[in-house]
Amino acid sequence: MTYSLQSKQFAEEDHVGYFSFWDDRWDDGLMCGIAGLMLRDPGLAPRLGPLLAGMLTALEGRGPDSAGFGIYHDDNQLDIGKDVGGAEDICRRLGIDGAHGYQGVGHTRMATESAVTKQHCHPFTPADGVCVVHNGSFSNHATVRRRLERDGVQFDSDNDSEVAARYIAQRLECGDDLKTALTAMAAVMDGFYTLLVTTPTEFAVHRDPIACKPAVIAETDEYIAMASEYRALAGLPGIKTADVFEPTGLHVWTLYT
Amino acid sequence: MDAVHVNPPAITLEASKLTTREINTRLRNLPDGAAVTIEEPLGRHNLAVGLTSRISIVIDGNAGYYTGGLGDGPDITINGFTGWGLGENLMSGNIRVKGSVSQSAAASAQGGLVIVEGDASLRAGISLKGGTLAIAGDAGNLSGFMAQAGTILIGGDAGEALGDSLYETTIYVAGAIASLGADAIITDLTEDDVIAVKRLCDKAGFDHVDPQNITKVTSARQLYHFTTAHSDAY
Repeated sequence: MTYSLQSKQFAEEDHVGYFSFWDDRWDDGLMCGIAGLMLRDPGLAPRLGPLLAGMLTALEGRGPDSAGFGIYHDDNQLDIGKDVGGAEDICRRLGIDGAHGYQGVGHTRMATESAVTKQHCHPFTPADGVCVVHNGSFSNHATVRRRLERDGVQFDSDNDSEVAARYIAQRLECGDDLKTALTAMAAVMDGFYTLLVTTPTEFAVHRDPIACKPAVIAETDEYIAMASEYRALAGLPGIKTADVFEPTGLHVWTLYT
Repeated sequence: MDAVHVNPPAITLEASKLTTREINTRLRNLPDGAAVTIEEPLGRHNLAVGLTSRISIVIDGNAGYYTGGLGDGPDITINGFTGWGLGENLMSGNIRVKGSVSQSAAASAQGGLVIVEGDASLRAGISLKGGTLAIAGDAGNLSGFMAQAGTILIGGDAGEALGDSLYETTIYVAGAIASLGADAIITDLTEDDVIAVKRLCDKAGFDHVDPQNITKVTSARQLYHFTTAHSDAY
């Protein structure tokens, strides 16, 4: 499923707090950015797209090669949009500022191990309703890929992150819950990672044991937000009173039902 | 670049209206003794880096990576938390963070004093080269990794592998130590240590630390050189 390709203008009031970073987006040299937002307050649903676009735009310097996002909306529908290029341009072209929903994930990529194509963009969607975005690198992805291929798993790219995504999906298909699947992945995949994995009802952040790649969480009664850097969270509503912290290991949040 | 007119006591820079380069250039042009407040930093990276004058800076909010890095003289207070690499390669001056800090605080700092009133994340004081890092709260895993000179005070608990591959930095821990890293050992506290910790606590404003009741971690000095005694390991 591809996110509708409609062109819309940014609503400027939705992006207050992000524009100030524009001059600084390109000088970071930090690899890959992740952003995610799980709404607890349905009242924010119409703003999900603009808020996620703002978060991704703030992380463009971490990943200027490509960007992508997944938007969960209505009855567990998941729309994916991704392309080669800068996050701000992609968000504008794919009309994310008009998107509503209850959960969103996004990624800005600085490619280090495989080609810059749309197929190599995050998020990866290895199973219905599952999104995986990754900051880091896996060193044994070829080995795990061969094992998965022997099991009949099909790949869209030679990207290392896709291997983790397919492995997690395989475990979920075998009946693991998300936490078990991610724990199993950590035992099999070797490398550096901050992963954000979402299902229609869950939002999981998983970091390698020595936390090589960054992650910041902001939690309020209205939402759970995660980003590679705080500056991507700084424009969220109520951020000044949010509980902001760096997670270690594995955290799984479940949507209020 | 506009000329900066110094009208003490207060200069205010609104971060949202300036690029990082503009902010740092204005700070650089201030004379010794100037005081400046940076408002709405919103997690911006590289604020107040590379400054060599003795000015006072208040960053009124949360700052990003490398805050105050490469400094040689300024006095910086951050009214919030900061990202990675706070005070990296600091040469002299003071940095005080009212909140917590992310990874690699005071990395490679050769001088100066970095005070964290909250907790510090992983690798605090990594490769410290003579500076002083005082953390009121806890410090994450691998703190003091390969630290070569200077002092680290942890007012709370230390994470795993504290002082791994330590050289000549002294680490003082008031709370529990999850584990020591390779070549780090607990050594006896001397009267000089107690005085040093007390002075540092006074300077940092830590009243929760009992200088008499501190664990001192130093290098066992077994990893300094290759020796034939270890040849089996290669």
